[in-house]
Amino acid sequence: MPTYKLTYLEFQGLAEPARLLFAAGGMKYEDVRLKREQWLELKPRSPTGHLPILEVDGTVIGESRAVWRLIAKEVGMAGKTLLEQARADMIVDSIFGDLTPDLAFFWEEDENKKKELKQKFVEKTLPTLARFEKLASAEGYFVGNSMSWADVYCFYFIDVVNKLIPGEHLKGYASLKRVVDNVSSNPGIAKWLKARPETPF
Amino acid sequence: MPAYKLTYFNGRGTAEIVRLVFAAAGISYEDVRLEQDKWPELKPKTPMGQVPILEVDGTMLCQSNSIARYVAKQAGLAGKTPMEQARVDMVMDVMDDMGKKGNAVFWEKDEETKAEKKKEYEETFLPQFFTCVNKLVGDSGHFVGDELTLADITYFNTTNLVGNYFKLPNMEEFSGLKKVTEHVTSNPGIAKWLKERPETPF
Repeated sequence: MPTYKLTYLEFQGLAEPARLLFAAGGMKYEDVRLKREQWLELKPRSPTGHLPILEVDGTVIGESRAVWRLIAKEVGMAGKTLLEQARADMIVDSIFGDLTPDLAFFWEEDENKKKELKQKFVEKTLPTLARFEKLASAEGYFVGNSMSWADVYCFYFIDVVNKLIPGEHLKGYASLKRVVDNVSSNPGIAKWLKARPETPF
Repeated sequence: MPAYKLTYFNGRGTAEIVRLVFAAAGISYEDVRLEQDKWPELKPKTPMGQVPILEVDGTMLCQSNSIARYVAKQAGLAGKTPMEQARVDMVMDVMDDMGKKGNAVFWEKDEETKAEKKKEYEETFLPQFFTCVNKLVGDSGHFVGDELTLADITYFNTTNLVGNYFKLPNMEEFSGLKKVTEHVTSNPGIAKWLKERPETPF
């Protein structure tokens, strides 16, 4: 059994999909949470200057999607065929590339601009969930008929949105509601959701 | 062998990585270049209202990196082990970041801000970026193992596209990246494609 060491800051953030996947797979890992100064010291020695990083038996992989996909493979949630794997990839890439960046309103320091960006997120970005509703099956899976990392990442995104903008964002999206339910009721994930440290993002 | 149909606009853009992988893999495909007036009709039929899409086995894939990885796997170009594959993915992600930052500058509406951001991208970001990425190249002159992978091809393609609009730093300084470029451009399939591919504005 390889040893896994996941390093991130003291937040759920971009490490959380990794932690959710490890939980789903019931896999042990070292969950390292650095203070900002510790990260700045480590940064020049990291592969790409970004967190999270994952060490597997000492080999270090950087970049969030690369890390998540590797863990997904280790826990058998990356897709069973090449086509399924591509489908999982495209769902994650679409949420990651098209929706997640608009969450940046959270870090905007100018109060007026922040309000504007937040409104734009609610009015322009959130409605694009309709595309994902069409792509999720009625049983609540994006890929085939079992949970994949695409479902877990979608759950993570909705979870973050709920945290930053409380409200009912899945109104009318029956399939996406099933995706979220399937993920949150996965035994390993349910256990983690109860135990994990709550952080601002 | 399934039939592959790639659809995009008449340009390199986000489809080019897929075309390069098909070329390196020696896999034939239909290279559909959409006229702008045909796009509104196709758009609602695509998974995310975007191109490129790849049609295979009656299904539609979107997202260029996902498509590229799918094709690369058919020819063993995506890394031999999960760890190698993760390393390929890591390089793809970091190049994706470079491309997105360049894109953001390109699409900046305010002329003055655009000029400032372009200067920062060219003079600050790119030199630091290439210095970092150069360190990821192995002694073999490849990012992963000692053979061509999607990591090498992605590096070449993104740098090539970015270099069409932005002024790149002196790439001679990055000996690893230079070797990667040589490996990519001398791959027979890719060399042929680079000679034959249509000249397009983007």
